[in-house]
Amino acid sequence: MTCLPEKTDKKLGLLIDLNICVGCHACAVNCKEWNTSGITGPMEDLKPYGDDPSGVWYNRIHSYEFKKEGETDRAVYFPKSCLHCDDAPCVTVCPTGASLKRSEDGIVLVNPDVCIGCKLCSWACPYGAREYDTTAGVMQKCTLCVDKIYDESIPEERRVPSCVSTCPAGARHFGDFADPNSNVSQLAAEGDARDLFPEMETKPVNQYLAPEKREQKENKKLTEKVTSVKDALTKWAMLDFTG
Amino acid sequence: MHPALSVIIFTTFSGMGYGLFIWLCANILMGERLTQDQIIYGTGFSFVLVTIGLLSSTIHLGHPERAWRAFSQWRTSWLSREGIMAILTYGPMVIIGGNQFLNLGLNALIPIMAVLGILGSIVTVFTTSMIYASLKAIPAWHNNWVKIGYQIFALSSGGVAYIMIAGWQHYMVVVTLLILALAVKIMTWAHIDKHRGQYKREDALGLPDFGKARPFEPAHQGQNYLQREMGYELCPKRRAMMRWLALGCGFILPAVLLYIGLPVAILITLICLGGMMAERWLFFAEAEHVVRLYYDKDTV
Repeated sequence: MTCLPEKTDKKLGLLIDLNICVGCHACAVNCKEWNTSGITGPMEDLKPYGDDPSGVWYNRIHSYEFKKEGETDRAVYFPKSCLHCDDAPCVTVCPTGASLKRSEDGIVLVNPDVCIGCKLCSWACPYGAREYDTTAGVMQKCTLCVDKIYDESIPEERRVPSCVSTCPAGARHFGDFADPNSNVSQLAAEGDARDLFPEMETKPVNQYLAPEKREQKENKKLTEKVTSVKDALTKWAMLDFTG
Repeated sequence: MHPALSVIIFTTFSGMGYGLFIWLCANILMGERLTQDQIIYGTGFSFVLVTIGLLSSTIHLGHPERAWRAFSQWRTSWLSREGIMAILTYGPMVIIGGNQFLNLGLNALIPIMAVLGILGSIVTVFTTSMIYASLKAIPAWHNNWVKIGYQIFALSSGGVAYIMIAGWQHYMVVVTLLILALAVKIMTWAHIDKHRGQYKREDALGLPDFGKARPFEPAHQGQNYLQREMGYELCPKRRAMMRWLALGCGFILPAVLLYIGLPVAILITLICLGGMMAERWLFFAEAEHVVRLYYDKDTV
């Protein structure tokens, strides 16, 4: 049913730390690797070795340069996949019920056996999270590796989405945003967590930790330096050689 | 948005079909003396236009054989509601036409069917407009002008077709409607031109406080579905040409030809339909999806 659940028991999603992401695309590659052979695969690949390769990917890594007056430019690597929104417009527009949001964990999925390939959901999504598979004639999207995170045949610590388990920098975190004590809720509360495109009123579950502010960082470094110098001098004055 | 011919035909043909049917039903209710042939041709032509439109809309589906599933999600989906209303509105159309064609002797039912036909057509055209107007991610569509536009364009183009079927007695009403429709179209363009650029790339990234963002390398080597479907870039020159073509053929030329009474109603109808197709082509080509903020557009 394309009615959105009033409340989901869990809010499974990703927290992506933009301070840490180095733009290596490993998450996108491992996403494709897992899902093309998973329940939603195969994911279309057209002319993979040609001049103009094209295909379905659930995760895309964008790269932006931010310019701000009085600051040196900064590069921000920006992984983007489905945000599993609470008010997901892609679900309510679906005429067939193929697009759905699960009430138990909030994951947004497409049922490929029911999808008629009208593409309206991809028009409704402001984030470009859905890509159409011309070979299968149905819409495809991130499943939060639903066939991995609940698989009891693999060790519990590995039951996380492929993009999370593969990230070499530790920029991606997976957990339940409905639980205030979860790893992702804690990290979001400690850091500067952001919604993508709040103007679209989709209430995304996935959150992004904004890059650290330059001013804050500089100040912190300076105070850190001052205190460490002070500490060292005090220690010398006390003839304290511990630590 | 990529202007796909199948979707352009869908709304222009079905719009003219429902508009024509509204005209026919209204004239039946007002006690206009329509001949049997006029009613048969009127309902028949509405039926053909609407059916071409609906069939065309299924061409762009990945799985047309599953199209029946689209009737199930009327509680949330305007596309589903549109499908259901279109099927329901066939009822009065077939009964009014069939009654004349097969002499079914249902004359007592006809006024009720005419009322249902008018209501059904208006609601169907409204649901069609809402498929587009409900999408917040496409600002050029997410406004009331789109809802008003679909209704009045259905009535004006359907009115031109009605003259072709049933004669010239109401031509001044159609001319007035065409002028009104022209004004609505110009107001719509003024609205979308004024509101272009309301969303910025930095909003889309959730980082409005970090200065100006610019993509410095592409996210992928080739074009993907998103860019092919939603990345249509219309150059200003072409937009101006298409806007004049839409106004000229969709409204101005039909109004002038009707006013001077040139007895070429079929030709006027074809010109009007062609103009509406240019208008609908622009409706897609001009509409910028906010996903482009992640790619090539600084603002949408």
